[in-house]
Amino acid sequence: MKQGMVRSWLRSLLLQASWNYERMIGIGLAFTTEPLLRDLPGGVEGERYRAALARATQQFNGHPYLIGLAAGALARVEHEALPEEQVKRLRTALAGPLGSVGDKMVWAGLLPVASALGMVLAVWVSPTAAVLGFLVLYNAVHFVLRGWALYSGWNGGLRVGQRLGARLIKLGLRLAGPLAALTVGFALPVVGAWLVRHLDAQELVGAGLIAGVGVVFARWVWPTLGGNRFGLAAVAVALLLGWL
Amino acid sequence: MSLKLVRLDDRLIHGQVVVGWGNALAADHILLIDDEVAVNDWEKELYRMGVPPEMGVEFCSVTDAGTALDRCANSDKRTIVLVGDVETLLGTCEASDLVRRVNIGGVHERDGRSRRLAYVFLTDDEAAALRRLSEAGIEVTARDVPSSKPVPVWDFT
Repeated sequence: MKQGMVRSWLRSLLLQASWNYERMIGIGLAFTTEPLLRDLPGGVEGERYRAALARATQQFNGHPYLIGLAAGALARVEHEALPEEQVKRLRTALAGPLGSVGDKMVWAGLLPVASALGMVLAVWVSPTAAVLGFLVLYNAVHFVLRGWALYSGWNGGLRVGQRLGARLIKLGLRLAGPLAALTVGFALPVVGAWLVRHLDAQELVGAGLIAGVGVVFARWVWPTLGGNRFGLAAVAVALLLGWL
Repeated sequence: MSLKLVRLDDRLIHGQVVVGWGNALAADHILLIDDEVAVNDWEKELYRMGVPPEMGVEFCSVTDAGTALDRCANSDKRTIVLVGDVETLLGTCEASDLVRRVNIGGVHERDGRSRRLAYVFLTDDEAAALRRLSEAGIEVTARDVPSSKPVPVWDFT
């Protein structure tokens, strides 16, 4: 295995610690890439290492879990001594797809799926099982994704796009949304039934009424309002009516 | 006319363009004009990955821009045209009369450039070129996302 891969993977976990508006995760990407650059000809005192590391700190943005694709591929082209202009173009071209693929797979797929399963575990098993189940499931995929990204980035080099476009990733992208909808759709009634389990008939009608208004709001009246704000508004209205 | 946006952005295809502008304009096609990308398979692979499946994307060089622009403008596709540098933008405007307005979406820091807006850094030559474009009758405004206000060329060059 390429020297520095494990260290690079571990460092990628701290990627966002130096997030800032000027370079976003540029510094974090350099920190992640650095162990892969140490064996450039000349070593850590050499010109190539220094130049490569300086380039690595430039502005960059992309999904944190897929950053290995950038770290690996950029380290690879530094080892292959490609012209600086090419390295920069690769860096620019990587930012867009890393963001969109990661957002779709993780924020719109893995996170809602793991959260929904956690909620079901909380109702069916125990709160402890929910916390553990969520953390284990979410991070199992998360850690593997980071490792896959680093491995594929290094092996792909300039052709990293082929790795990112692999069949498995395409399948993941196609399934992420529907899978999230399926699990959340399953979890909501389970959790809803659990939340209202102690209510009497009158209270059930009230809860149903609020849920109905919520659906109408979310679907037709004010789709961008969001569940939290609607919930808080409902509580405020209830308090006001109770006080009057 | 279905050239919905002609945009200068050195990040080319990325989230702001695909999600921000793509949704706001209901665009379903991207025409990326860049001499380097047009001949680099690895770059095309990467940029394709940034485009959602419901959107089409094509790449062409400045030389072929005229034909591609006219074809996109006369089709029923709603196209976003992307270029990565001022020189390509000038070539694009020259290539087709159908380009009537251009959007400056993001040009980032590089040696010799100075800050004009938070997302626009230009050399003096580039700024002058944009002003000339405006004098030639093309509407030039800077605007990073659809929800922000357009800034006319004279206010940032």
